[in-house]
Amino acid sequence: MENIKEDFKNLDLTVGDVFSKDARLKARNVNVFYGSNKAIDNVTIDIGNKEVISLIGPSGCGKSTFLRCFNRMNDTIDSCRIEGKITLDNENIYNEKIDVVPLRARIGMVFQKPNPFPKSIYDNVAYGPRIHGLSENKEHLDNIVEESLKRAGLWEEVNDRLLSPGTGLSGGQQQRLCIARAIAVSPEVILMDEPCSALDPIATAKIEELIHELGNEYSIVIVTHSMQQAARVSKRTAYFHLGKLIEVGKTKEIFTRPRHNQTEAYISGKIG
Amino acid sequence: MNKKRITPLEATNTVKKSIVKRRSKDNRLKLYGRIAIGLAVCFLLFLFYSIFTKGYPGFFQYYVTLDINFDRDRIDPQGDLSDNSLFDGEASKIVNESLFSIIEPKGRKAKKQAKKIVSSGKDVRIAKMVKNNPSLFGTITKVKFALDDDIDSFLRGYIKRETPESERRISDKVIGFVDKLNQDGRITYEFSDYILKGSASGNPEMAGIKGAFIGSMLTLSICLLISFPLGVATAVYLEEIAKKNRITEFIEVNINNLAAVPSVVFGIMGLAIFISIFGMPRSIPLVGGMVLALMTLPTIIISSRAAIRAVPPSVRDAAYGIGASKLQVIFHHVIPLAMPGMLTGTIIGMAQALGETAPLLMIGMVAFIVDIPNSVMDPGTVLPVQIFMWADFAERMFIQKTSAAIIVLLGFLISMNAFAVYLRKKLERRW
Repeated sequence: MENIKEDFKNLDLTVGDVFSKDARLKARNVNVFYGSNKAIDNVTIDIGNKEVISLIGPSGCGKSTFLRCFNRMNDTIDSCRIEGKITLDNENIYNEKIDVVPLRARIGMVFQKPNPFPKSIYDNVAYGPRIHGLSENKEHLDNIVEESLKRAGLWEEVNDRLLSPGTGLSGGQQQRLCIARAIAVSPEVILMDEPCSALDPIATAKIEELIHELGNEYSIVIVTHSMQQAARVSKRTAYFHLGKLIEVGKTKEIFTRPRHNQTEAYISGKIG
Repeated sequence: MNKKRITPLEATNTVKKSIVKRRSKDNRLKLYGRIAIGLAVCFLLFLFYSIFTKGYPGFFQYYVTLDINFDRDRIDPQGDLSDNSLFDGEASKIVNESLFSIIEPKGRKAKKQAKKIVSSGKDVRIAKMVKNNPSLFGTITKVKFALDDDIDSFLRGYIKRETPESERRISDKVIGFVDKLNQDGRITYEFSDYILKGSASGNPEMAGIKGAFIGSMLTLSICLLISFPLGVATAVYLEEIAKKNRITEFIEVNINNLAAVPSVVFGIMGLAIFISIFGMPRSIPLVGGMVLALMTLPTIIISSRAAIRAVPPSVRDAAYGIGASKLQVIFHHVIPLAMPGMLTGTIIGMAQALGETAPLLMIGMVAFIVDIPNSVMDPGTVLPVQIFMWADFAERMFIQKTSAAIIVLLGFLISMNAFAVYLRKKLERRW
């Protein structure tokens, strides 16, 4: 624990307390390159246990790129290269011995655009448990699906049509289906990449409520464009600008008493 | 530079003036489009009309009914129904005797001419009948025999009575015999039992497409079995697994080039590699299928890659995000979603292969093969090559046979396409 703090450089870059007492995920001096283009510059941050943290910042600041580092989704992009260290429970996830398959089962992800599989609602939720072999039998799988849909707040709406296509649901329902799909494999951390940007205000409110509830069980990292949303759902907020982590702090403080002038400029609407 | 500002009124008027011109341009474009489609439809209709009117009679031919005395001692001298015994028998003679009893030819020459009226397949026909039904022995039964192709052409009116005897393929005497048979009501025009059940033959009245049809089926099966898995695997590898670098780019360019290579080149390659180096037999559907597989591979690869690229990346993200391995992403999501597109490409490739003649000529599938192939290792031919060969023959009757074979080929093709559409619809419904 202590030595991780030691190998950490350039603390002066970020304002506020990047560390967390009860950290699940720790990112240390993370740099991300797309080809020769540096997208993330020396970012260090902790994600606490059962903590909802928002990553905010103007478009192109690298917050989504950074989010995708946590479950190694950037691996699928050929030109992408990552330096630094990210640990999940003190285990470096970029270690060569780490397999991304179990890692992604532990760190679930919800994407910007609702992307249910073109399968039935049931199969969408059951897909994860199936490929990871989590269910003992059909009955158990049914339970997992029901439980996940209930926790995603979708069960009441779809329990009579589990076998109809997931793509036939409304946008907000699809996104909740994606959340149900993510929690069906019992992850420890959920990454959300602007989960509400394609949704209307009512659907957004439902998702936010859901995030709030899920925050009691999981660590949630949410990237959002909406400062109001960050204020509503998260306890901590991190502000990114041009690939750098500018300021981290309690959400209340970030929005009321930003310490960095760039943060202040952003939250007051001067940049963004 | 003219810096005069245009007032809204002027702008409105100018637009109004130009609108007539623009509308007429639109309308002209629409008209050109309609003319083009109309022409295409006309050509197509004409093509189908000409094929069907020419080909339809090809499914029929003239038969003569004769009373045959199934005398076992003469037809089956050894009495065991073996091929040898039936070959030694006098079936032809019996048929001729029955024929002579009706038309009563006088003299050796007349008899010789009269024998030719009935197709030379008469003894085979009798042999087949007694083999299938030995109880025919000892009876006198009416049997239909195909007429010789010249007589058939005469009855169809292609050989005219008015033509001077010296320029006609059949003599006045034979015409007299035919008239007699006609008066007796023994000549009938019926659905041919040779065209669909027969195989290649030098006698047009006995020629059929069964051999070529089965050859086509075998060749296409080999082609599909090789090219579909290979093509899909290649496409999946190039799209989903391989890193984009110089080597994959080089492979890509070459695959695209291969799609444009004339098919006969693949035939030469097949000849050089499969036959010369590997020493495989000539004329067999296995080699034909392999050559056609090489030819269709680029088509399948290109369309499969397009289909894979059309799978939305969000589906891949979703699957990777939940922890699916590459293999699971490919087999659970990419391939099922790309399958309709892949199938379309495959069917297009197969349709191309079905109609291909040139590469098969190179590997000897143009040989005159009477036996119907039982396996991919038996020499055979395919429908387009059969059509090509028949179109080359001089006898008048082959014209109808050629057209009939074209109809069968078209039918084969249409049913293949229909199957593809059905498959696609079925897979798409599963989304």
